[in-house]
Amino acid sequence: MVNGLFDDAPLMQQEPVNLSRRRFMLTSAGAATGAFVLGFGLPARQARAQAAQGPKYRGTQVPALLEIRPDNTVRLQSPFIEGGQGTFTAMAQIVGEELDADPSTFLVENAPAGDEYAVMDSGMRITGGSMSVRNGYPAMRRLGALGREMLLQAGAQHLGVPVSELTTQPGQVVHAASGRMVNYGDLAHVAMDLPVPDPASVKLRDPSQFRWIGKSVKRLDIYEKSTGKVDYAIDVRIDGMLHAAVQHAPRLGMTVGSIRNEEQVRQMKGVHSVHRLPGAVAVVAERWWHAKRGVEALLVNWAEAEPGAASDIRVMPADFSTEEFRKHLATVSGKEENAETRGDVTRGLKNAHTVVEATYFSQYVNHGQLEPPSALARYNPDGTLDIWLPNQAPDMFRADMARRTGMDAEKITIHSPLLGGFFGRHFLYDHGSPYPQAIALAKATGRPIKLIWTREEEFLRDALRPMAAVRFRAGLDATGRPVALDVVSATEGATEGLGTKRGKDLDPTALEGLTNKAYDIPDRRIAQLFVRNPATLGYWRSVGNSMNDFLYETFLDELADKGHQDPYELRLHLLRDNRRLTTLLKAVADLSGGWKRGPFTAADGSRRARGIGMSSPFGSEAAAIAEVSLENGRVRVQEVWEAIDPGKVVNPAIVEAQVNGAIALGLSQVLLEETVYENGMPRARNYEGYPILALNQMPRVHVKIVESGEKMGGVGEPPLPAIPPAVANAVSTLTGRRIRSMPLSRHDFAS
Amino acid sequence: MTNRLKKIFAVVIPASAVLAAGTAWFVTRLPASSFEKTGSQGEPSAQLVARGEYVSRLTDCVACHSVPGGAAYTGGLKMVTPMGAIFATNITPDRETGIGAYTLADFDRALRSGVAKDGHRFYPAMPYPSYAKLSDDDVKALYAYFMKGVPAVHQENRKSAIPWPLNMRWPLAFWNVVFAPSGVYRPDISKDAQWNRGAYLVEGAGHCGACHTPRSLAFHEKGTDSHSAAFVSGALIDGWFAPSLRNDPNTGLGRWSEDDIFRFLKTGRNDHAVVFGSMTEAFNNSTQFFSDDDLRAVAHYLKSLPGNAQRDGTPWQYEPTQAKALQPAGRQGIPGAQTYMAKCSFCHGTDGRGQGQWVPPLAGAASSLVPDSSSSINVTLNGSDRVVAAGVPDSYRMPSYRAQLSDGEIADVLTFVRSSWGNRQLPVTNGDVKKLREQTVPASSSPVILKIH
Amino acid sequence: MELTINGVVHQIDVELDTPLLWVLRDDLGMTGTKYGCGLAQCGACTVLIDGRAVRSCVTPVEKMAGASIVTIEAIERDDLGKRVVTAWVKHQVPQCGYCQSGQVMAATSLLRQVPHPTDADIDAAMVNLCRCGTYNAIRAAIHDLASGSTDGGA
Ligand code: FES
Ligand code: FES
Repeated sequence: MVNGLFDDAPLMQQEPVNLSRRRFMLTSAGAATGAFVLGFGLPARQARAQAAQGPKYRGTQVPALLEIRPDNTVRLQSPFIEGGQGTFTAMAQIVGEELDADPSTFLVENAPAGDEYAVMDSGMRITGGSMSVRNGYPAMRRLGALGREMLLQAGAQHLGVPVSELTTQPGQVVHAASGRMVNYGDLAHVAMDLPVPDPASVKLRDPSQFRWIGKSVKRLDIYEKSTGKVDYAIDVRIDGMLHAAVQHAPRLGMTVGSIRNEEQVRQMKGVHSVHRLPGAVAVVAERWWHAKRGVEALLVNWAEAEPGAASDIRVMPADFSTEEFRKHLATVSGKEENAETRGDVTRGLKNAHTVVEATYFSQYVNHGQLEPPSALARYNPDGTLDIWLPNQAPDMFRADMARRTGMDAEKITIHSPLLGGFFGRHFLYDHGSPYPQAIALAKATGRPIKLIWTREEEFLRDALRPMAAVRFRAGLDATGRPVALDVVSATEGATEGLGTKRGKDLDPTALEGLTNKAYDIPDRRIAQLFVRNPATLGYWRSVGNSMNDFLYETFLDELADKGHQDPYELRLHLLRDNRRLTTLLKAVADLSGGWKRGPFTAADGSRRARGIGMSSPFGSEAAAIAEVSLENGRVRVQEVWEAIDPGKVVNPAIVEAQVNGAIALGLSQVLLEETVYENGMPRARNYEGYPILALNQMPRVHVKIVESGEKMGGVGEPPLPAIPPAVANAVSTLTGRRIRSMPLSRHDFAS
Repeated sequence: MTNRLKKIFAVVIPASAVLAAGTAWFVTRLPASSFEKTGSQGEPSAQLVARGEYVSRLTDCVACHSVPGGAAYTGGLKMVTPMGAIFATNITPDRETGIGAYTLADFDRALRSGVAKDGHRFYPAMPYPSYAKLSDDDVKALYAYFMKGVPAVHQENRKSAIPWPLNMRWPLAFWNVVFAPSGVYRPDISKDAQWNRGAYLVEGAGHCGACHTPRSLAFHEKGTDSHSAAFVSGALIDGWFAPSLRNDPNTGLGRWSEDDIFRFLKTGRNDHAVVFGSMTEAFNNSTQFFSDDDLRAVAHYLKSLPGNAQRDGTPWQYEPTQAKALQPAGRQGIPGAQTYMAKCSFCHGTDGRGQGQWVPPLAGAASSLVPDSSSSINVTLNGSDRVVAAGVPDSYRMPSYRAQLSDGEIADVLTFVRSSWGNRQLPVTNGDVKKLREQTVPASSSPVILKIH
Repeated sequence: MELTINGVVHQIDVELDTPLLWVLRDDLGMTGTKYGCGLAQCGACTVLIDGRAVRSCVTPVEKMAGASIVTIEAIERDDLGKRVVTAWVKHQVPQCGYCQSGQVMAATSLLRQVPHPTDADIDAAMVNLCRCGTYNAIRAAIHDLASGSTDGGA
């Protein structure tokens, strides 16, 4: 993100928007004051003037981020969005720790777009890559400490004593000498006018004194989420709003030719108007149900994409099939671009005792977040635009809206309600979000428009995790251990897949999980054979690792078998010089009661086996063991043990919840999920044809958090990638069949 | 695109017919047309063209002669037969690739006798044995419509993929002599006008028998009119079992009133059933466009066809016995009960009664009571195409469960359905499901409406 | 027609085949009940009708006249529902939360039918999807309720 692009952005939109419900989500208990109270709320320009420290210290525009209300609740504008991963609570813990305010008194919401919220070291602001806590940690601590400093100053004025005599206790400034205490809420209006202190001067709390960081603090949003009180984007209502539904062209790139029954549809009950959009038609109505029925009734003659359209968008070919594409990936030849080389792989393979070759595959997958995409757009009388939508990166979205509308970015206000799941779904994907359509419809109708995509339209326009065929060649030495490894992945990375043109450098997301492995294999080469995917690509939870660790770790087991090695012992051997990973691997083995591969007969009489998977994604380390059995020819995962080392932990309970969630998604992927295209169309348009993991398929989960003290890593994504290989490796052991692709539902183990 | 109905049955040419090949004269002669002497009539009236369009709705030409997304009546629909695929032809008035050069008599011979202008004979995928009953007036109107109401489109026909010698069509002449009834519909003077109109529509224009009448080994319909007990008594076609349209209370229309039938054909639904499978296409493109009088005539006529009590068994009655089996604890021991609760009950109800006209009951449904389980399996595997009534797609559709349920689970849940709520004990086997799984594909979740202009 | 929702009678004017879900969300502004699939596949739209979990996206309002409909908005007015919410909070069940209105309704319905559900009962009854994978927390919360250690006052 370019710094300064949004310099004049209004900081907080304080006009009393007529939302039908509370404007601020995540009211924690005791904070239901209802009325909007100005605490630290300042226009951005003023805030910026007060905090001109520059990018060296991010997140120092205290008034932009913090507001303390008379009732002592702390309202935090979180730079990171909450989508179930617990970020808001973690932010409250981190800020609260330094501000000296109990996290339970926090009211957290997603900050609007604006440079003052770009707290990441990169200067960007995006929720993704499991970066929120680890990347926001220093800035958010500093923010809390600065806020505390300002409150102390205000307290000094208020009490007429020197600052040096003051301390704080949660929510209060304390003058120990006189026994006087002042609530933060009573000082906020004074603190507001004070200059932000020099960030270099603030003293942070000694970690040994932490009261909330590192503890399983209760999440702030649980009660609201358990009682339906959260307004997701799809739930937001504003006065005068109309609803819209769209029907997309069956293939991306096609355009509206003609509509056979436009007039009839316009006459349908409740229908306000019928619209043509790029690659879609829309119906606007008083109720969404009418809009949806109307748009389904539209009979559109779709025209094939203009020649040349492919330079701007990914035109989906009419004959595209994933089955054919898979064959193509397996056999295509072309330029192999090395991402990692060590030693001399050619020599290594030549000198090897045995050479093992195999091709492994990963499939397209959908995000399948439970909240269908929506966007609500409103043009205001003063020419500004308000838009509500699920997103992971308000500034990027706003810049894109500015580009599309020709408006100045500062005239656009983005509201980012909580996400009903995202898993990478709410990044900026061309044609992957309803907001351009909502904006166009709001413009055309002069009314606020809420557009919801049906689940069917979502499955048609979701961005997919890339497909890959990875050709492995490995050399084993005389003892059966791998000494050389040559890996060529025929694929396109998610990042390079965002547009129509490829960047200069290799896309790291294409090969992460294949590259930079800690295993001591001296001669190796990891290369990409770039193959353009016809489908729109995107980030899926754990990105490249979500597939590549499966591919690598299952091939590693294949090597173990070929070399007559136990897969656990082999990994320990290959990691013998890596203390952190050796500890982790042993931790997960211990957690499972000691490594035992099987097959063995369990107490219930079922035959079972266990498998291992390891992964080093997003700055963290993970190792998993899965135990599987077969039921009517299908795989049942009985137990999963996972050890995760994110360096340091802010909230162990949230980490454990994230491990559970990541395991569920990893299992879903390896057991069930696959996006199939035929004739240029996805076969599944709803969960009916795209089954995802259900409760009765969820195994028992055992989590061990290992705090190595290393640099803080991510948590949301790292537990996932080890799961698919652990399961597949267990299945190979149980059935004696090599698994080289997902999902396992493709295989019938009954025969 | 989908498994839309091919109003086609397996066209197998009986070997005996080939052996009995007669003279070249016989097989190449053109059948007579009542319009032989009729010269050009000049420009047809708009009224006649409009009348022709209506007749085309009755005869549902579009079902086979158009494909989704294609121009109206340009053909192209692939019909898979055991001998190979054949393709419906272009019947727009284009002179080279369509029927623009056809005289009224040529058109008549094609429609009512199954012989093209060049003398080649149609496979009986074309329901000319039924169309033979069309009145001269309707044929004239239809001709006017196809010449003036349908835009000419130049589009070459696709060759059939049936290998020689089975692609020799002249043996069909013998098939026609033996099996195809000839002669326009003749009113039964013992019946009233409404009945006769209904008979004309059901036996003739609507060619209901093409799907609903069982076929012999030689693939002709076993009955072609109300005199035959086999007529529209139910038949398997293209992976669906088209149920009896006779007064069988279990497997036919015995429990339906005339009004029920009327509403079903008009709106696609009533309290007994919602159109699904192949019937969806017949409804979407044809029956809903019948005039109310014509639909009432159809209903009136169908209600006059006696059922077969011996075959149908004792009339079904609802039994509430299954309720207990569906309790969380109870259903774990009963194959299919858990799947029913998790996948079916939210729409069809724990009582199997469905939700009024919007979601059909499974209790007492013909598809649950008929011994052939194809329709039950097919709709579970593949869901159903969207029902589009008066231009508006249905609010509720049947999803496809092929990706979620194994053959065994589908067999179990259907066995459960088919033995609950008073339904007969009619089990479904894994093998039944496996076979249909291989032969069919999921329905589209998007509405498909064929163009007629 | 008239609908009785959370004890309140509402007059609504919609076509009879309108799904209850959209009447709740658009006509009555009760957005606690979620849209996930519209096809009875996910359970996000689950409400209680005469005490049983029903998927409102596939429930035409026509049949709802005279029925007692309870949505998530009123779940805490029901003793059992309140206990379920309490257990949900105790076990910190939700992640993104989008599926949870439906999960709470499904759990309430299960516990009403089977006060002490086994694992197999939970497998059988809790068929709503959760993409965030909160299944084990759901299971733990229900077991907790069944064992009686979480009461409404906790
Ligand atoms: S929205 Fe009703 S089940 Fe998914
Ligand atoms: S908590 Fe996110 S879908 Fe269940």
